[in-house]
Amino acid sequence: MEPILKADLRWLHAKAARNPAVGERASGDACVRCFSRSRWFDRFLALRALLLPIFWTTGALLQASFLVADEPLHERIDRLVSARTPNYENLAAPLASDEEFLRRVTLDLGGTLPTSDQTRTFLADDHPDKRSVCVDRLLASSDYARQMMHHLDVTLMLRLPQLSIPVPDWEKFLRNAVVENRGWDQVTRDILSCDGSDPDNRGPARFYLARKGDVDQITRDIGRIFLGTDLECAQCHDHPEIDEYRQQDYHGLAAFLVRSFVFTDEKKNAIFAEKAEGEVSFESVFAVRDNMSDGPQSIEPRLFDEFTMTEPDLPEEEAYQVKPADKVRPIPTFSRRAQLPQAIANGSNHRFARTAANRFWALMFGRGLIHPVDGDHSGNPPSHPELLNLLAEQFAAHQFDIKWFLRQLALSKTYQRSSVSLAAGEQAGETSDEMFARAILKPLSPTQLARSLFQATDTIAAERTVLGDGFTEEALEKKLIALERLFVRRFGGLPGEGPQDFEATVAQALFLSNNAEIQRLTLPKEGNLAHRLLKLPSDDPNGLVDELSLSVLTRRPTAEEQTDFSEYLVGVPADERPSAIGELIWALIASNEFRFNH
Amino acid sequence: MHDHSIARVNRRSFLEGLAGTGLGMLGFNGMVQAEATKQLVRQQKHVVVFWLAGGVSQLETWDPKPGTETGGPFRSIATSVPGVEISELLPHTAQQMHHLAVVRSLNTNENAHDRGSILMQTGQPKDPGFVYPHMGAAFSSLLRSEENKLPGYITMNGGGQASEAAFLGSLHAPVQIDGDRGPSNLQPPEGMTAAKDLRRRQLRDRVSHRFAAARRQTDTEIYDASYEKAAALVDRRDIFDLDQVPGSERERYGDSQFGKHCLMVRRLLEHGVPFARIRHKHYDSHSENFNFHIEQLGEFDRPFATFISDLDERGLLDHTLIVCMAEFGRTPKINPRCGRDHWGTAWSVALGGCGIQRGAVVGSTIANGTEVKDREISSGHLFHTYYRAVGLDPSEEFYHNGRPFHRTDPKAAPIEELLV
Repeated sequence: MEPILKADLRWLHAKAARNPAVGERASGDACVRCFSRSRWFDRFLALRALLLPIFWTTGALLQASFLVADEPLHERIDRLVSARTPNYENLAAPLASDEEFLRRVTLDLGGTLPTSDQTRTFLADDHPDKRSVCVDRLLASSDYARQMMHHLDVTLMLRLPQLSIPVPDWEKFLRNAVVENRGWDQVTRDILSCDGSDPDNRGPARFYLARKGDVDQITRDIGRIFLGTDLECAQCHDHPEIDEYRQQDYHGLAAFLVRSFVFTDEKKNAIFAEKAEGEVSFESVFAVRDNMSDGPQSIEPRLFDEFTMTEPDLPEEEAYQVKPADKVRPIPTFSRRAQLPQAIANGSNHRFARTAANRFWALMFGRGLIHPVDGDHSGNPPSHPELLNLLAEQFAAHQFDIKWFLRQLALSKTYQRSSVSLAAGEQAGETSDEMFARAILKPLSPTQLARSLFQATDTIAAERTVLGDGFTEEALEKKLIALERLFVRRFGGLPGEGPQDFEATVAQALFLSNNAEIQRLTLPKEGNLAHRLLKLPSDDPNGLVDELSLSVLTRRPTAEEQTDFSEYLVGVPADERPSAIGELIWALIASNEFRFNH
Repeated sequence: MHDHSIARVNRRSFLEGLAGTGLGMLGFNGMVQAEATKQLVRQQKHVVVFWLAGGVSQLETWDPKPGTETGGPFRSIATSVPGVEISELLPHTAQQMHHLAVVRSLNTNENAHDRGSILMQTGQPKDPGFVYPHMGAAFSSLLRSEENKLPGYITMNGGGQASEAAFLGSLHAPVQIDGDRGPSNLQPPEGMTAAKDLRRRQLRDRVSHRFAAARRQTDTEIYDASYEKAAALVDRRDIFDLDQVPGSERERYGDSQFGKHCLMVRRLLEHGVPFARIRHKHYDSHSENFNFHIEQLGEFDRPFATFISDLDERGLLDHTLIVCMAEFGRTPKINPRCGRDHWGTAWSVALGGCGIQRGAVVGSTIANGTEVKDREISSGHLFHTYYRAVGLDPSEEFYHNGRPFHRTDPKAAPIEELLV
């Protein structure tokens, strides 16, 4: 092809890549395909010859400008990750196979597994852009909306029980935010600015009200979730080990909230109200113990040393718009808490931007660049400081567009590395997780585990059959959510705690092994995987093992597995065959390979 | 992972009257195998920790100070050991004092829940550079028999994280059991025979090992270990079926969940489980200290006493070290909310059973309980004592990643007055 057309195509392809909605129509290939040999086409050719030099120059300039100023973020990620570790290119695992990639990205962005047909199609597809097309498809899907909603819910609410605000209202708010792809800064502001007084917008107030309006709990969680700092120890004294977490930092944040309290209106609705007076008061318990205290101190609302606030000096009679009285919710003229959303959630708050970038990085990669994600201080520097700064800056520059950010992460080579260790030659300890030289194993979240199980066993198809004429997406979702809840209870960890190290309890193993509901998923039922496998001719064990492996493990079986799995069914009498197929399916879903995202 | 060159004398040779016993000594990884060739004449040893979460008050239990400004409203009562009195809130336990011993002069100087818990369960203060295993994992690794597939470390009613096993690995991580009926889902699904269950588990293991062999390991090991332990529990699910226990026995343990846990632990000990921790909550009485303790100890007293006497009747007490403790004690000073706050400066711990001098009282506090008067004891001393009581050497060093560590604080020593 002539150079011009190539430049056009690449530019158009790149444009299409940034704007998936435009899709194929903008692709140069399509344009050429669409054109039929006609008068118009002849004129086009003539015009093109005339404009050749102009296109050439423009195209070249645009390409050049891309490479310098607009190198895609995912490429810059790869460069910085590689540069940070000596000998990175030799230490790094190869890129993941299509099978590994498809499973991983479907779990990360869709919270579930692909169907065996989707897997077959993806493996057979030889389009060079198929991975980015796959990413775009997932980001546009309702699976993404559900997965991201769950993830944000757990991050923000730590599985606290329902209180004051019905959980469905909160989930609806989050889901809308995700579907609209609202910027993370805007979502944060929506949450921190909601007091629950607007009957049409009570959902976001769950953040404050499920925490009972407890100033200390809210202060600590705002620090951890939005600013990457766990200030808990600094409530009572300067942090004994971390110089930057001072008691005044804790109480400076608490000062925004200290005047707030939970008010119940006559309809029994809880509202996070606020008075016009109240100050924080603190004294170091160490100083008290050592008789060195100067007495209790106070502090005005501030965020570390980076943001301070001036309060208007109002005379007493003007302090309130609505004065407090019995059964009357006070409204102060000046609200401290109303300053908080903008102070925290904006692009020029470096802590906020860095924490946001770090948390979404951790979601995709299994480990933050600052680890743990709420341990941001100079004694715990990021593994890749320049990269983290870049990510924070870019995320902010793109209005904290979550889909855009996740897409860039997913397109990077770093994300797409295999999790397989280098073969025999690797020395123990030669690479460590923070080099990001290979994919880190991520245990499936409770909802991912549930959805993957439903998908792998094709329970969804079976439930459709069961519902029959009564089938609606809503009815199906209701059934699946009920089963999902079983998993959240079992695998969800303790409410109120942040992310913990991987735990595999005996109770969970017993649940997956012996629970009647789980067992039913693996036994033949019209429409599900076990039923499909049962119907396959018993003289075609390869076909069975193939379908089993693609459905449950999202890959083709190895030769060893062909033998191992098909031998499991050899010699099994016909009436035992359904049970044996169930055991085969169970062995795979209970395996390490299924339990982890890899 | 384990060094199989350790000499083991098996149960059969014991039954045949040879001087050897059941159980292997599996040391910490890389430990200097000082006892590898020793043949010890002993039966399976056990350790049971009663963990009174939140910090039980020593003034309302083992070291009452009736009639003082710090003593509170309760009296002290005589026990089965002449001259020794404990709080009137423990009448049944008082009748078992001749099986127990008390340390009244504990000074751990630690008032934070997390740090206190680590200090009392590892014998070492929280060290940012090195994570010591909790005593459950340590004793599981040292006392557990290879032949016994049941978990080596069981914890009842919460508080068991995999991280407690530290470098000892998931084999010695705690198995948590909550609820009245033991673990749920112990019953295999309908139609699942033992043979089929084994076959599917073996396939599960093969698939998992192939996967893990090519990748970074720790989390996959943790996952595998959970299935191994689950299978062992399914195999022995009869242990948790308290309906198999005669009604009269069950009645003595009472109806509370704590009582049922005590009975389950007795049965677990009878089946060779080396370490159990029974957690009873909640004792963090910053307000209404006295009401709290009436309620809590009211629930605690009889099952605890029954447990002691039951073990004694069955010949298990001589092989079971009992420790009753918490993160810290509570302040002698009563605060404005009628509560007591955290207090690690002068408090008590009770011990009993294997290797412990029955009826012993070690140390004392001054009249109002605010200071230790004599024989100050640290957590390190206690740990030396635990090891000696069950026949292990507390001063043994072990190696991890080439560095030597001590099982117990080298600056401390066993409390000789407590040991038989």
